[in-house]
Amino acid sequence: MKETSFSIQINGQEFAAHSDQTILEVAQANESYIPSICFHPNLGTIQTCDTCFVNVDGEMVRACATKVQPGMNVDTNSKVVKDAQYEAMSRILKNHELYCTVCDNNNGNCVVHNTAEYLEIEHQKYQFEAKPYPPDHSHPFYRYEPDQCILCGRCVEACQDLQVNETLTIDWNREKPRVIWDNDVPIDESSCVSCGHCVTVCPCNALMEKSMLGEAGYLTKIPPKILEPMIDLTKEVEPGYKEIFAISEMEAAMRKARIKRTKTVCTYCGVGCSFEVWTKDRKILKIEPQEHAPVNGISTCVKGKWGWDYVNSEERLTKPLIRKGNEFVEATWDEALKLIASKLTGIKEQYGPDSIGYIASSKCSNEENFLFQKFARAIMGTNNVDNCSRYCQSPATAALLRTVGIGGDSGTIRDIEKSELIIVIGANPAESHPVLATRIKRAHKLHGQKLIVADLRENELAERANLFIHPKPSTDLIWISAVTKYILDQGWEDQEFLKNRVNGLDDYIQSLNKYTLDYAEKATGLSKEEMIQVATMLHESKTACVLWAMGVTQHKGATDTSTAIANLLLITGNFGRPGTGAYPLRGHNNVQGACDFGTMPAWLPGYEPIQDDKVRKRYEEAWGVTLPKDPGLDNHQMLEGVKEGKLKALYLFGEEMALVDSNVNFVDSMLEKLEFFVVQDVFFSKTAQFADVVLPASPSLEKDGTFVNTERRIQRFYKVLEPLGDSKPDWMIFQELANLLGANWNYQHPSEIMDEAASLAKYFAGVSYDRLEGFNSQIWPVAKDGTDSPLLYEKRFVFPDGKARLVPVDWTPPFEAGDEYDLHLNNGRLLEHFHEGNMTYRSEGLTHKVPHPWLEISPELAKERGVEDGSLVRLSSPYGQVKVRAIVTDRVIGKELYLTMNTREDVEAVNRLTSSYHDLITHTPNYKEMGVKMEVLEQKGEPPLPKVNHRFGNRMPQISVRVEEKWKRDDFTPITELFEIGGDQYGGSNQAN
Amino acid sequence: MAEAIKQIRKEIPTPEQEQSQAISEIIAALASNREAIISTIGIIKHLQEMGVLDALNGLLEKRVDVGAIALQQFNQPGMHNIIKNGMNTFKFLSQLNPDELQILLNGVTRGLEKLGERIDRNDKISLWQLGNSMRNDEIRTSLFTMLGLLEGMGEVFQRDKRDLH
Repeated sequence: MKETSFSIQINGQEFAAHSDQTILEVAQANESYIPSICFHPNLGTIQTCDTCFVNVDGEMVRACATKVQPGMNVDTNSKVVKDAQYEAMSRILKNHELYCTVCDNNNGNCVVHNTAEYLEIEHQKYQFEAKPYPPDHSHPFYRYEPDQCILCGRCVEACQDLQVNETLTIDWNREKPRVIWDNDVPIDESSCVSCGHCVTVCPCNALMEKSMLGEAGYLTKIPPKILEPMIDLTKEVEPGYKEIFAISEMEAAMRKARIKRTKTVCTYCGVGCSFEVWTKDRKILKIEPQEHAPVNGISTCVKGKWGWDYVNSEERLTKPLIRKGNEFVEATWDEALKLIASKLTGIKEQYGPDSIGYIASSKCSNEENFLFQKFARAIMGTNNVDNCSRYCQSPATAALLRTVGIGGDSGTIRDIEKSELIIVIGANPAESHPVLATRIKRAHKLHGQKLIVADLRENELAERANLFIHPKPSTDLIWISAVTKYILDQGWEDQEFLKNRVNGLDDYIQSLNKYTLDYAEKATGLSKEEMIQVATMLHESKTACVLWAMGVTQHKGATDTSTAIANLLLITGNFGRPGTGAYPLRGHNNVQGACDFGTMPAWLPGYEPIQDDKVRKRYEEAWGVTLPKDPGLDNHQMLEGVKEGKLKALYLFGEEMALVDSNVNFVDSMLEKLEFFVVQDVFFSKTAQFADVVLPASPSLEKDGTFVNTERRIQRFYKVLEPLGDSKPDWMIFQELANLLGANWNYQHPSEIMDEAASLAKYFAGVSYDRLEGFNSQIWPVAKDGTDSPLLYEKRFVFPDGKARLVPVDWTPPFEAGDEYDLHLNNGRLLEHFHEGNMTYRSEGLTHKVPHPWLEISPELAKERGVEDGSLVRLSSPYGQVKVRAIVTDRVIGKELYLTMNTREDVEAVNRLTSSYHDLITHTPNYKEMGVKMEVLEQKGEPPLPKVNHRFGNRMPQISVRVEEKWKRDDFTPITELFEIGGDQYGGSNQAN
Repeated sequence: MAEAIKQIRKEIPTPEQEQSQAISEIIAALASNREAIISTIGIIKHLQEMGVLDALNGLLEKRVDVGAIALQQFNQPGMHNIIKNGMNTFKFLSQLNPDELQILLNGVTRGLEKLGERIDRNDKISLWQLGNSMRNDEIRTSLFTMLGLLEGMGEVFQRDKRDLH
């Protein structure tokens, strides 16, 4: 909210300002430069560097920390100001050696370099002093060089208050302060989650990506034997820094000739972080986040910042493969595509178009998904097309479609940030949506946001929560409904909202009768007090968001539980206002987009039903074909179809079905039964082992396209590298195949595919590549004129009468494996790897941090069964078994186990244990409902998680960098003491008031 | 029925195939840059005859050692002075007004001629004669001009002194 506007003067020039701005912010907004090394727009005011001192009506103040006031007169140019800034900069250079030309950070964006240059620093006022600490190279991805560290505290601020991992501090009490990790341990052994925030915000080369060292500069690979004397010589004879800067600027300009900077969008979760990729030929030098990136600013997680090595992996598929006997043989594109065309045609002619299924990829672009469903529907004549949202968020989509009308998040990450209360149910955003979690952690730590977490595991957000509740597995619908009923019983519902904007209240209230606190207490194991506390916190918050994920959606009653969440939000009026809404957190980078652009058996792009004649007609006219009317098979039904002998062939791209679908024992046997199977992927996946033809695809860095993140935000990614070997972007492969089958498509660029989608689907009417240029984004629905919709339902819900619908729901008991399976098996993702790890295990650093999956066992169960860290156990369910090593941790309790899914080995894969039962409405498998028994195979063994994992670290929470401790040091003299302004000497103007 | 298989028969090019592929690429590049390549060969031939290539080769092979030695030589106080003086001289020259310098240098040239003549004559000169020479118009002009130089220098010396406090 902007406060009242007024104007202030900077160096005699009038600028508009409002009262929540600082002098520095007003100056920056008007391109009036004030030096500021420690200030970063994503971090705010730190006050360590003192380079921003300015003279305000006769007083020296820090521009970064002083709020503007009407009529303020700011002088940034007078001699006393320059002298003060010069003094501050000189103090910084005592801690930092300027050898810019041979520094890998000299890329035109080094804040220390640029500020020193602006201040026309000529000589070192204070002799540079090395600090008595060696550089820390222990971490696989970045280094800390204390000698170059200016102690500005940006890294600490980022770690403490933006990422909120609370690993970094500056120890101001030692003789020579430095940044320390945890209680001063090597970086690799600390609680550092490798998110990269600190490295990104470092204004110099103290924290550097190791991938940059010796690579970015022309002269930086010089061996130390030469480099050190060169630096000495330069310093000895330098006429002044001006000349040095001139040379380093030339060198920086030269670097631009060989370092390419390309915007991309991350593919490791649904948050949709965007950033620049810096490359030199095919070498990825670094990921450089930008403060103006719409979702993440400078934030990243370990995978987004460092996890791109897979693109250059030796194991990439570079040629089409055709199964011949018991082996795959390399083939040309021509051979492979002709074979596919003839086989698919043959099967279609013999068994009909519905005998072939098409499984799309939530990792690939909107354009690719659009084209794939067009291929299935228009060329192959079937609606048997689905994507992997079937494995995760389809229940949430279905629930929102039936209650509020749009199957996506109600708002954006900004709403989550500003909400007064966040309720997280069955989700672990700190690991699965790390950057989104940082916004909650920050709001919770700094701005008083309340946090409730309901989960089986005490995950990181649960540790931080105001209230952590642990219901019995699969009982969320009950406690959510009980809380809703309690709110209604107390008269705490939003009556005005319900009256004007919601249908079905009476029936719904009726349906809640059985959800008394007594019943809920028995069924869920939660105490009445806990449920009352949830209700009270909701009642006391003006705004609330509910976030949920697989802990809700991978159950037999998943759609109903998701509906119960939407009902609760409706009853409390938490839709349609900033800071409110329902947020099913999308797991993959483009789960939302794959669904949005039509790879769903019942929906055309933009959620228009295939059965609607008018809608179908629009597409038929555009494509010049007749489209099949009836919804096709979803993923689950396709495999059932194989079993029944109805489905003969599958075409799958970018999906590791043989590991990530539930009950892979069944999946494998169905894939074996297929007459013809095409797999298109970046790697030779487990699924590809069943294929008849394997096509080599290009990952996101090798093509153009767009993704839709969990907020419904459409963002462009640009081609960084040429496709490796003979691999091709998926959309090109579809086009070539379609043309072999007579399609006569002629898309030259993905933008043309988007134009076609925008012309057909009304939600995307105003979407275009021009409007999405660079870091611009659009949040659908997008009107023809380009107006987008960050916050939904402000005026109406998406039903004909504009009113939301309360939908009564009932609890579905979970699958029971039987008495002998006495332990509950929970499972999921982890921070460092993406799913099974086909991409992330190609990174040496990520593998160093997490080499294996692990089984979490509670201390009490471990004691009872004689299990310790590293014990090898066998888990058996009615469906299969796995052998994994254990970690004993109080993140889980009692008889509840947690198995991570980061493995490509059959013997460790959690989905050997899961069943084929599913959500009754959407067919999403009930991954989270399984009982297992456990046998200890070896009591002693190597723990599966190495000691260099952040989970063994020791966080050091504090607010910001504690600059007050710096100011208390004996050797610190405030700049204001040195540069006092006497009387009206510098005031300049004489204000009559 | 298609069982899961991992066996991939890769067409791995033999070293010979790889070589012939490389050679044909090189030949294509040569052919399309014919003139540039032929002139370059000419230059290389001359360099070879002069023995420059040998020397360069030695230098490159031992670049780290040579560089270290060179830097060691550079990194001596004497060398620092030379470089600094060199840079100061440049700075000095860049500040001079060429016209004034021209006049001064013309004067110095003529002065040197006179100086040569006097050395040749090897006259003994009395203090009286020295005093009398002040009556000479040219000498007075020159001395007066020199006083200007002294004054300017004095100004700078005094300013530097103030700067110290």
